[in-house]
Amino acid sequence: MLTRRNFTAALAAGAALIATPVLAQDTLIINSFGGSYEKTHRDLVITPFEKEYGVTVKVVTAYSADTLAQLRAQKENPQFDVVHFSGGLETVAASEGLLAPIKPEELSNYGQMYPFAVADIGKGVGPMYKVAAIGLLYNTEQVSPAPTSWMDLTNPAYAKNVLLTDAAANTYGMLGMLMMNKVSGGTLDDVQPGLDFVGKLLDGGATVVSKSPEIQQNFAQGSAWIAPYAQDYAFTLTKAGLPVKFVQPKEGAAFAPITVNLVAGRDNRDLALKFIDFSIRAEASKGWAEALRYSPTNKEAKLPDDVASQVVYGEEAAKNLVGFDPIKIGDERAKWNEAWKRLVAR
Amino acid sequence: MTGSRQISAAIRSRREPLLLLGPGVAVLALAFFLPVFQMLVLSVQVTGTDGQISFGWEHFAKFFVDDYYLGVSIRTFRLAGLITLICFLIGFPLAYVMSRVGPRLRMLLILLVVLPLMTSVVIRTFGWLVILGNGGLLSDLLEVIGLTDRATKLMHTESGIVIAMVQVLVPFMTLTILGVLQRIGSELEQAARTMGAGFWQAIIGITLPLSLPGIVSGCLIVFALSISSFITPTLVGGVRLPVLAGSIYSSVTGSFDWNFAAAQSVLLLLATLVVIVPYAMLMRRRDTKAVR
Amino acid sequence: MVRGVPPTARILTAFLITATAIFMLVPLAVVMLSSISASEFLVFPPRGFSLRWYGEIMASDAYLKAGWTSIKLALVVTVLAIGIGTPTAIALYRFRLPGGEALGALFLSPLVLPTLIFGIGLLVLFSSWGSGPSFTGLVIGHLVISLPYVIRTVGAVLADADPALEEAARTMGANVWQRYRYVVLPQCAAGMAAGGFFAFNISFDDAVVALFMRAPDVETLPLRIYSQLEFSPDPSVAAVSTIMILLTIFLVFLIDRLFGLKRIA
Repeated sequence: MLTRRNFTAALAAGAALIATPVLAQDTLIINSFGGSYEKTHRDLVITPFEKEYGVTVKVVTAYSADTLAQLRAQKENPQFDVVHFSGGLETVAASEGLLAPIKPEELSNYGQMYPFAVADIGKGVGPMYKVAAIGLLYNTEQVSPAPTSWMDLTNPAYAKNVLLTDAAANTYGMLGMLMMNKVSGGTLDDVQPGLDFVGKLLDGGATVVSKSPEIQQNFAQGSAWIAPYAQDYAFTLTKAGLPVKFVQPKEGAAFAPITVNLVAGRDNRDLALKFIDFSIRAEASKGWAEALRYSPTNKEAKLPDDVASQVVYGEEAAKNLVGFDPIKIGDERAKWNEAWKRLVAR
Repeated sequence: MTGSRQISAAIRSRREPLLLLGPGVAVLALAFFLPVFQMLVLSVQVTGTDGQISFGWEHFAKFFVDDYYLGVSIRTFRLAGLITLICFLIGFPLAYVMSRVGPRLRMLLILLVVLPLMTSVVIRTFGWLVILGNGGLLSDLLEVIGLTDRATKLMHTESGIVIAMVQVLVPFMTLTILGVLQRIGSELEQAARTMGAGFWQAIIGITLPLSLPGIVSGCLIVFALSISSFITPTLVGGVRLPVLAGSIYSSVTGSFDWNFAAAQSVLLLLATLVVIVPYAMLMRRRDTKAVR
Repeated sequence: MVRGVPPTARILTAFLITATAIFMLVPLAVVMLSSISASEFLVFPPRGFSLRWYGEIMASDAYLKAGWTSIKLALVVTVLAIGIGTPTAIALYRFRLPGGEALGALFLSPLVLPTLIFGIGLLVLFSSWGSGPSFTGLVIGHLVISLPYVIRTVGAVLADADPALEEAARTMGANVWQRYRYVVLPQCAAGMAAGGFFAFNISFDDAVVALFMRAPDVETLPLRIYSQLEFSPDPSVAAVSTIMILLTIFLVFLIDRLFGLKRIA
């Protein structure tokens, strides 16, 4: 039986057959994360790619959660060719069949990557074109001596100046919560110790924000002294002239994968793969570290010393990073979000 | 000759309104009522583990057994009540003043109310973010006056939500009451004062009761708009102060649970209808009166 | 002889007007002032004076594209809203229809029923039809929320206009086309124009429907501002907002000229 949806799909497919040869081969639709990030993204990857291949790349500003929502809504007829995710959601999208698997031989830069960065490309999780380390950000004028452990968050002297980030809406916030959970003895199967840890911080007067600009505001206005968050954001604050430093606590820092993924069900796979391959070049990896202090995932990226000291650089240093099983996170995240929402709501 | 033309005119005039209404009705039915109806269906649709779709009250049950959503609903209605009350306290005197001053000043006041009303809610909320933020304009001001000590913040507080929402909604209250005040005129109030009533007595004893339909409609519309707002409460209130509309938004874009979002929407819709139906009846009475 | 307004009332009135003026306008003023700040970050009060952020917008693809999308969208919505709303208003206000009053209330219902719910419903509808959110979806969404304004403004001018004129044209032998062309539409004109400006403004300012109907290629200006606020606000957001505020002032001015702001109440 020809149902309405079948019919629409057939029509769309028919239309695509006629219309795509012209459109698809020279246009890619991707997402980026807006602001200065997007600007850097354009400078390092998008514009050089357009020049090199003589194509147009359309960029839509959409953060990970929004992008996933759009991919889901457009499942029948995806509008993106390549999507970027920061932390976690690529695994969800891949498990739902929204992303397409990539073979190692399809990426010329595959051999240059750290193995962890390309581990799951066969399952549809695109390569990590860089990672962000999640540790502690602190105000160097207020917090002295410098924190060395996640437990320093519970120091009563800073109780009212601890800044947490919404774990339900923000991946860095979630990874911070998972680290607090880990140091309190929790596991991915049981995050209650982490939630209790956060509960105590909230009782002590900690603030919760949901967006990164609010982190900047709170540090700028002096109400935040210490916050679990990402290394690259510490650099943003430093550039803004704030006395903020990042520290990798002795228990380790989590890493947030930042991936470039191939969307399933689009018909210009070749160009999309070229874009992904282009995104993981050593030059791009180096550029991200220099411009925004993300840690490179391409072994061939050679960083100047001053930059190298501010990111996780080299195979040895990368071992200090704590990776959480993305599949497990994908399975549990909805449950954690619900628990988190209840914990922080007054 | 004349007779036949009248007949054809009569025939035409029966078909004419239908032709005129056609496109509008089509848009209303397909683009408004169909999506809303779709939400109703979605709210009772349950997808089983085998992918089979059946109908049931599961999504509503999820809402009602959970203290979290109870808390969210209570906050939503409590804030809406408070916002409505404050809007009335500002809106009634303002509308009264507008109805009694000269045309030039009245025009200026209407402009004062309409201009923010016509500005995008995103922009107005943006303004409030700058004002309410800690270290923002208002907390500095309060500190200078000596009302609060340092580091008082209105960002991420219910007071902050109320302040921003009142500014967004006060125009609706003022304009609704003004409409009624202009219709009832000032004659009765004048008469009462001629007979010796004081200024305040005349307002409270005569004008206020007479404008009650406008006040009630104004309160109902402000309440209805208040419970369904989410941009201002979410941006100003932050994660720790969730409201119902914000919870719906996050069910759609955060947890992607469209059925549950639909169930919450239906509850919000019911709450809205409870206040909107009397509003519509009051407005209809006002409009029919105006025509006569 | 009625005694005058007591002095306390006069003082209270003056206070009320001043306080309301400040309260209503300060969020807009703050945005406008922040846009001329010379500093790198969004601060208030602004530090230094500079128009650089306006230059920044003009050099920003994202803002220009969003602005262009918003203008195109608002124009299409305006034309459709006038084209569909005017005949609807004529039918509702010029003909005694059975159930006309109820129908009129239904047409105005998008004004009071939560836009949030309508927006989600539209998203679900467009997704289940396989095409997903799109420019067309946004046009339809904005058409629905702006139609009531056109119906109200055209209805209001029709209520003031003399229906006998149309009757006279009819008895004098004017055909349907002539009757509409020379009598009814001229009577509606001011209402159509005012309703059109309302429709333009509604579409140009809406963030709720746009939030749900956003597609990769379709990002409106309010949405651009919203995401900028969420991720990286700088004074350029204030500059874009200021331009939007100025446009609103201009539209309000036009509506007043054509229709009279007093009649909004």
